[in-house]
Amino acid sequence: MTETIVELKNITKRFPGIVANDDVTLDIRKGEIFALLGENGAGKSTLMSILFGMYEPDEGQIFVRGEKVRLTSSKDAAALSIGMVHQHFKLVSNYTITENIVLGDEPLKRLGPLSWVDLKGASEKIRSLSLEYGLEVNPDDKIEDLPVSTQQRVEILKMLYRDAEILIFDEPTSVLTPQEIEYLLEIMEELRRGGKTIILISHKLEEIKQVADRCAILLHGKLVGVYDVATTTTQRMANLMVGKELDFSIDKTEHDFGEVVLDVSDLTVYNEQKVKVVDNVSLKVRQGEILAIAGVSGNGQVDIADAIAGLQNISAGSISFKGEDISRLTIKERITKGISYIPEDRQKEGLIMDLTLRDNLAIKTFDREPFSKKGILQPESFEQQAEDLIRRYDIRSGQGGQTLTRSMSGGNQQKAIIAREVELDSDLLIFVQPTRGLDVGAIANIHQQILEQRDLGKAILLVSLELDEVMALADTISVAFRGQILKTDSVHNLSKEEVGQYMMGVTQ
Amino acid sequence: MKKFITRVRSALSGLLVPAISIVLTLIVASAILLLLGKNPVEVFLGFLRGSGMVLKPRYAGGQGILTDFFSYFSILTPMIFASLGVMLGLRAGLFNIGVAGQMLFPGFLASVLVGYSNLPSYLAWPLIILIGLVAGGAMGSLIGFLKHRFNIHEVVTSIMLNYIVSYVTAFFINTYFVDPVTRNSRTIKETSRLLISGKADGVRFDFPVGLIVALLAVFVIRFILDRTTVGFRINAVGLNKYCARYAGINVGGNIVLAMAMSGALAGLAGVTYYLGFANNMVPKDLVSLGYDSIAVAVLGNIAPVGTLFASILVTIFQKGSIYMSSNVGVPKDIASVIIGILLMFSASGLYIEDKLQHLGRTVRPKRDSKTDKDKAEEEQL
Repeated sequence: MTETIVELKNITKRFPGIVANDDVTLDIRKGEIFALLGENGAGKSTLMSILFGMYEPDEGQIFVRGEKVRLTSSKDAAALSIGMVHQHFKLVSNYTITENIVLGDEPLKRLGPLSWVDLKGASEKIRSLSLEYGLEVNPDDKIEDLPVSTQQRVEILKMLYRDAEILIFDEPTSVLTPQEIEYLLEIMEELRRGGKTIILISHKLEEIKQVADRCAILLHGKLVGVYDVATTTTQRMANLMVGKELDFSIDKTEHDFGEVVLDVSDLTVYNEQKVKVVDNVSLKVRQGEILAIAGVSGNGQVDIADAIAGLQNISAGSISFKGEDISRLTIKERITKGISYIPEDRQKEGLIMDLTLRDNLAIKTFDREPFSKKGILQPESFEQQAEDLIRRYDIRSGQGGQTLTRSMSGGNQQKAIIAREVELDSDLLIFVQPTRGLDVGAIANIHQQILEQRDLGKAILLVSLELDEVMALADTISVAFRGQILKTDSVHNLSKEEVGQYMMGVTQ
Repeated sequence: MKKFITRVRSALSGLLVPAISIVLTLIVASAILLLLGKNPVEVFLGFLRGSGMVLKPRYAGGQGILTDFFSYFSILTPMIFASLGVMLGLRAGLFNIGVAGQMLFPGFLASVLVGYSNLPSYLAWPLIILIGLVAGGAMGSLIGFLKHRFNIHEVVTSIMLNYIVSYVTAFFINTYFVDPVTRNSRTIKETSRLLISGKADGVRFDFPVGLIVALLAVFVIRFILDRTTVGFRINAVGLNKYCARYAGINVGGNIVLAMAMSGALAGLAGVTYYLGFANNMVPKDLVSLGYDSIAVAVLGNIAPVGTLFASILVTIFQKGSIYMSSNVGVPKDIASVIIGILLMFSASGLYIEDKLQHLGRTVRPKRDSKTDKDKAEEEQL
C-alpha cells in the first residue's frame, strides 16, 4: 500500500581512520516519520549528509522515487525535493525571515529589462504556508531578534517554500525546551498529515517513541535493524543503540544532610539589558544534598548559578558559602574557596575548543603546584593529570592529552569538564544542564557521577530543564518561575505533575 | 632519542606547508616578471645582492658584501620587534594595528632625550632600550586599558593614537629639532646609534646591537607564551575570553598586559629603527614597516619563531628592492607585490594542507583547522 520513496542500498562511507557508514541498506516509505537512532558518532549524520548531497558514498547506490540518482551537492538534493534542517541553523542573522527563505531562489518580478526581488509576494506565500502547517512566524522579523525555536521554524519553512517532499531533521530538539519540543513534534505530525516524508535524526528515545513510525538503529556505522516503533519498548531501543544492556535505574540511598554549605538569601540579579532576571531568591544547599532548580528555560535558573560562581553581578541579597559572604569575591577566589561549576554552554564557556584536552583539564589549576612552579608551567604534570583523568573518567580522545578539544564529541567534552570540576574537590558543585544533547550512555554516566559526589558529602546545585532528571536526582526541588522560586520542597512531597504545574507558574 | 626524532620530524612537516607557499610565490612572481619581460633569476639575485647575501658585481670604495649584509640586519632588527609585537597582540585576540605610532613615539623620545646628548654609548644604549620599552609599553597599555575599561576597540584607539603621535611629534620636530636643510629632524649623535662599527679587509660595516636583543626577545616571548602561566592566560584570553573568565582568569588585566607587551616590543622596534637604521625622523611620517609587520606576523603563523623567519624573508625583498630596481630595472614596488602574493599563499595554508592530506601524507594539525579528518574523528568519538 505504501510506496517507497527513498532507498539506500549498501551505502559505505569511509573517512581517514574510520568507517562512518558500513554497508547500510534502508528504505523509507512515503508519508512516514522515519527515525534514525544512534549514539553520538554512530554515523547518522553522515548517512543523511549523503542523502542530502554533501558527501558522496564510497560504495552503494541511492534511489529516489525508484530512480537511481547521484547527488553531488545540496542543489541536486533540492531538485529531488529533499530538504534538511541542520543542527546548526544556516540563517543570515541580520536578514528578515522572508529574505532568508528566498535567499538563493529569489522570486523575480520583471518590467522590461528590469527585475527585482518580489519580497512582498514571497512574504504572502510564507504567511500562508505558516498558517497551513501551524508554524507561527512573522515574515518581516529579523532572525537576530528571534528565539531559537522560531529560527528552527524558519528553517522548516525554508524547506516547505522550496516544495520539499522529503524533510530531514538533524537532532532538531537538542536546542529546544520541553514545551518547544512538544510543539515541534506536533508540527512534524502536521507535516506528515500533509503528505510529507520526514526523516528524524535523534538519540532521544522519548520523542521517537512519540512521533516516529519506524526507526532504524545505527551502531558504529552499521545498521542494527529497522524496528516498528509502536511495538518496540524504549528500553529495547536503548539497548540496541548502545549495543549492550543498559542499567537506567538510579541507585540513590537516603541519608541525612550535613551542614549548610551554600546559603543564598534575597538574591536579586539584573542582566546586561537591565532586566530583573533573579528576583528575591533564597535557597540553601547542605552537605550530601542535591538541590535541583526545575523550570522552563529562561526563568532565571542559569543566572542564579552564574551569580553564585561570580560570573554575574548581584544587585541585592547575599551569597554565603560555608558561613562566609562571598558575594564580593572574584571568580578566582570563589573557585579557590571550593566552588565547582559545570556551565550550560560547554563549548563557549566550559572549554577552549582550540586548546588541547590536557590544557583544558588544567585551565583552573594551571597556576597552582604541581602544574606550575614560580610561574613556569610543568608540562609533565599537565600530561600526567590528563592521562589519569582520561582513564578514570573514560574520556575518549584520539591522541590522549594532546587531542584538540574541538575534535572530541560533545559527550566526551562534557566528561572532560566534569572530570576537571570534580577533581577540584570542591565542597559545592553547580551543574547546569549537565546532560543536554548527550546520548543515553553518557547521561547514565554523568548521573552516576553526580550521585557519587552527593554520597561523598558534597553540596550539589543542579539546574536542569529535564523534569525527569530533576525528579530522579534531586533531594530537594526548587521551582523557578520568572526569576522567583515558587516552591521549595523535598522530592518526596512533590509529584512530577505538581512540579510541572509550578513550572508553568500555577500556585494553588 | 626516538622522542628527538619525532620532534624533528614534526618540526619538518610543520615547515612543509610554508615551504610550499614560498615556492608557489616564487613561481607566480616569476610569471609576472616574465610578463614584464624581465629575467626572474636576475630579479631574485638582485634582491639577494641588495641584502648582502650574494656578491654584487662591483662595490663602491670601502664597501663590500659585509656592508650590505649588516645594513640588512639593521632593518631586520626593527622588523623582528614590530612583528613580534603584532603577533603577541594577536595571541591575546587583539589587533594592534598601531605599531607605527608605537614606534614613532618611543623613537622620538629616545632621540630627543638621549640621541642629541653627549652620553657615551655604554650609557646611551641601555637608556634608549629602556625608553623604547617603557614608552611603547605605556602606549600599548593605554590602548589595552581603554578597551578593558570603556570597551573601545583597539583598532580605533591605535589608529587614532597613530595620528596624534605623528602630528604632535611633527610639531616638536618642526619647532625644535628640525634640520634646516633636509627638513627632517637633526641626525642623532654617532654615540647614540645602536650600532657597532667595524672594518674587515678594508670593508666598513655597522653591526646593529639591537639584533641581539631582538633574537633574545624571540626566544623570551616564545618561552613566555609556551611555558609560563602568563602566556597560558594570554593564550586562553585570546582563544576564548568567555571560558577564560569562567576559569577565573582576569580577562581585562590580561588584555592590558598583552597590549603593554605588544607596545613595548613596538617601542623596541621604534628605537632600533630611528636610532640605528634611520637616525632621523621625517615629520608626520609613519614608517610602512609598522604596517608590514602585520603581514609578517600572519605569515609567521602567529608564532614567535615563525615570525622571525617571516621577518628574515620579507626583509630580503624590502631591503633588496632598491638595488634590484636600479640594476634590473623593475620598479621596486614589485617587492610589495611579491609580499602580497606570499601572504595570499600563506593564508591558503589550510587549503594546501588539505591537498597534501589527499596525497596521503601526514601533516601537522594547525591552529583553527578543521579538516575532513577532524570531522570524521568528531563523529567517531
